[in-house]
Amino acid sequence: MYRKYLVKRVIYGILMYVVMIFTYSALFNRVAEETVRAQIEEQVAKEAIKYRNVTPEQLRALIEEQKAIKIRQHHLDQPYFLRVVWRAADTLRLDFGSSTLMKAPNGDRSVLAIIGNALPRTIVLFTTEVLVVTALGIVLGLYAARRPNGPLDRAISLVTMVTNGLPAWWLGMLMIMFFSYAVPIFPSGGIQSNPAPAGAAAVLDFLWHLSLPLLTLVFLSVWGTAYLIRNIVLSNLQEDYVMAARARGIPERRVLFGHTLRTSLPAIMTMVILSLFSSIAGNIIVEGIFGWPGIGNLYFIAVQQNDVPVLMGTLAIETFLNMLGFILLDLVYGLLDPRIKVGGKA
Amino acid sequence: MSVKDGLAGLRDFWKEYSKVGSGKVGLGILAFFVVLAIVGPFVVPFPGATEHWQDITYWMDNPRAAPPAWVNLFRARKGAVSERVAAGAPSVAEAASGQRRAYPIAYEYRADKPPRDLIFRFKGRGKVALSLEVTRPDGSASELYRGQGELGEGFKRISVEHDAMGGVIALVNSVDEFVGSGLDPASNRPCALLFAEIDPDMADSPRPLKGEYAFTLGIELKSEGAAAEAPELLVSGEVSGILGTDVSKRDIFTGVVVGIKWALVIGFLTSIITVIAGVVFGVVAAYFGGAWDWALTRLYEFVYLLPVLPFLIVLSAIYKPSIYTFIVIVCLLFWTGPYKPVYSIALQIKEETFVEASKALGSGRMRIIFRHIVPILLPYSFAVMALSIPGVIVYEASVSLLGLGDSSIVTWGQILEAALSQGAMINNLWWWVIPPGLMIALMGMSFAFIGSAMDKILHPKLKTR
Repeated sequence: MYRKYLVKRVIYGILMYVVMIFTYSALFNRVAEETVRAQIEEQVAKEAIKYRNVTPEQLRALIEEQKAIKIRQHHLDQPYFLRVVWRAADTLRLDFGSSTLMKAPNGDRSVLAIIGNALPRTIVLFTTEVLVVTALGIVLGLYAARRPNGPLDRAISLVTMVTNGLPAWWLGMLMIMFFSYAVPIFPSGGIQSNPAPAGAAAVLDFLWHLSLPLLTLVFLSVWGTAYLIRNIVLSNLQEDYVMAARARGIPERRVLFGHTLRTSLPAIMTMVILSLFSSIAGNIIVEGIFGWPGIGNLYFIAVQQNDVPVLMGTLAIETFLNMLGFILLDLVYGLLDPRIKVGGKA
Repeated sequence: MSVKDGLAGLRDFWKEYSKVGSGKVGLGILAFFVVLAIVGPFVVPFPGATEHWQDITYWMDNPRAAPPAWVNLFRARKGAVSERVAAGAPSVAEAASGQRRAYPIAYEYRADKPPRDLIFRFKGRGKVALSLEVTRPDGSASELYRGQGELGEGFKRISVEHDAMGGVIALVNSVDEFVGSGLDPASNRPCALLFAEIDPDMADSPRPLKGEYAFTLGIELKSEGAAAEAPELLVSGEVSGILGTDVSKRDIFTGVVVGIKWALVIGFLTSIITVIAGVVFGVVAAYFGGAWDWALTRLYEFVYLLPVLPFLIVLSAIYKPSIYTFIVIVCLLFWTGPYKPVYSIALQIKEETFVEASKALGSGRMRIIFRHIVPILLPYSFAVMALSIPGVIVYEASVSLLGLGDSSIVTWGQILEAALSQGAMINNLWWWVIPPGLMIALMGMSFAFIGSAMDKILHPKLKTR
């Protein structure tokens, strides 16, 4: 029964992913056409200067020929519909092609190399954030749940609400202003000093650059996470077995960390796994503010330079991660609650 | 559910709601914002800000990147505050060449740091000859400016900083020629000299000369039909206004107040549309089931899986949307928020006995949906609405921050974008960065308070044992 559900869910997921990639392809092909045509004109004109000893007629013919070759290379001679299909098919085969303008630091223009270069940096920042926030959140949430309406509980729910609409990038701007310029403790951006130190100093230098964005992100999201965990734990604390445990004289610490945390763990783990998945996509604006050269920054540069292959590749990866988290969540719930079925009636 | 029932329900809801302290605080802040959004544009120091935000000439008489006026409270050496001084009644003299009016303008200088500039301006037409004289508290007096010209559209301006260097040096010379001859016009500011005691150190460490400065602006009407309205003195201060000015000389307080309107419009419009769409889709999918359910659930998955901010940014970059197109795009992406919960609640209600009874009495589908299912979902929808507004406001600010927003309107995101791109952080212009973000945060906070108060009423289970 569960296997059937699993297969059905995964197939639905794959189909949905294909539909989404086609949508992106349709959207981007429209944009790409103008940009690519303009780039071809520019390139051909640049190369034409190099031709020597040719008559104007020959030159014109050469330019036309070059243009035709380039247009064929970019599939611009084919109808819009076909181009949409081809780009979608390429993306689905993980063949993201090469970028139009952007380069990896080693000069490689393949989209995979460019993304592969940015991805680890995003993971270091945002995945570390999720881990730190989860650890702090569990501790804070547990202690808040132990005394509902106590000072810690009230403080957490208040700060959660106060920071609710606070944009992380604005807090980042303030942090940079105060801790990089007014009181220069931390660097204002980037991932390493210039010139970069070598050896163990390089690691320290990296951590030094990491601390301000990490601090900002953790400070902002720890409260909400603690509040959520407090809610999960609190609903478990009201179960009868907790009362029974307390009645048996089991110390409060063990009730909290042994009994309650254990039963709350599945819900917490789901939350953590989902945020780990979404953390890989990074955050466009926070990375921009801190000059952190990760996926978010890459994406924004690609938007500005209209570099469609890079955009397409990044979006495809982000959508894939979203999809993975979504399906995983469904599968976990399906496993925990057999009543959930595809198309099932409640 | 009749109208009367609805009102009674609303009254009960309010009774419950008013018990929650944070809910009242949130409602209070929101009410403050709404009042400020309505009244604000009329009471701000620059009422034309909405239309002229990007117009440099509208702001040119303000100081550049000046801190707020209240920082004087925390400073040992106070800066001159930006202000507007109207001219007194003119003394009129008829001369052969035309009417000559002398407007007295008194400026009280009490600060330690001189203003950035003094601008004398008036409107008029025809040909005029102008002169500007000053008598300082120490009795020294001189002519600062003399000129003539044809008046055109807009203000005729005399700026001490640009037009009066020679006049100020002449003033110093009239008291002490030795000091005056040592002053280099290229390295001194006229305003700094004008408001300093005349002594040999006045260029390097000027001592402020406090007291009343009596200016006289002479306007001689030289041609037939020439006219001039009462002039005014604009003091372009060392500190300025409630929240200071930015690098483009714009008054930040005005911008922040004008921005409230757009935050509210964007937040309310999108959240109302998205919640209605989400509720309708959720109920339809749950109640009709079958193909409706399948199609809407697939659509939900599609939109849910789109990475919101990247997608929003790409669309904004391609279509350069106006604020209304932006709202439409956000609505297309955000209706998924209430969809799933509504769907599952509606599935439960559908099986309730009162729905069955209503069906047995011959009610149609529409009647059941709008009379029985939707009313139960209403309070929940309001909570979702309140909780989704801050997100939308932050998204608008984020897109604006990247320079992809609608630049024809003033939003907090637009102000922050200017701050970010024009070096507010490096130059520590905190009065430019903090207020707009604080407003976003405050707005988000008020809706969080309201939403969580509603949540407490709707889910009493979370109240503790």
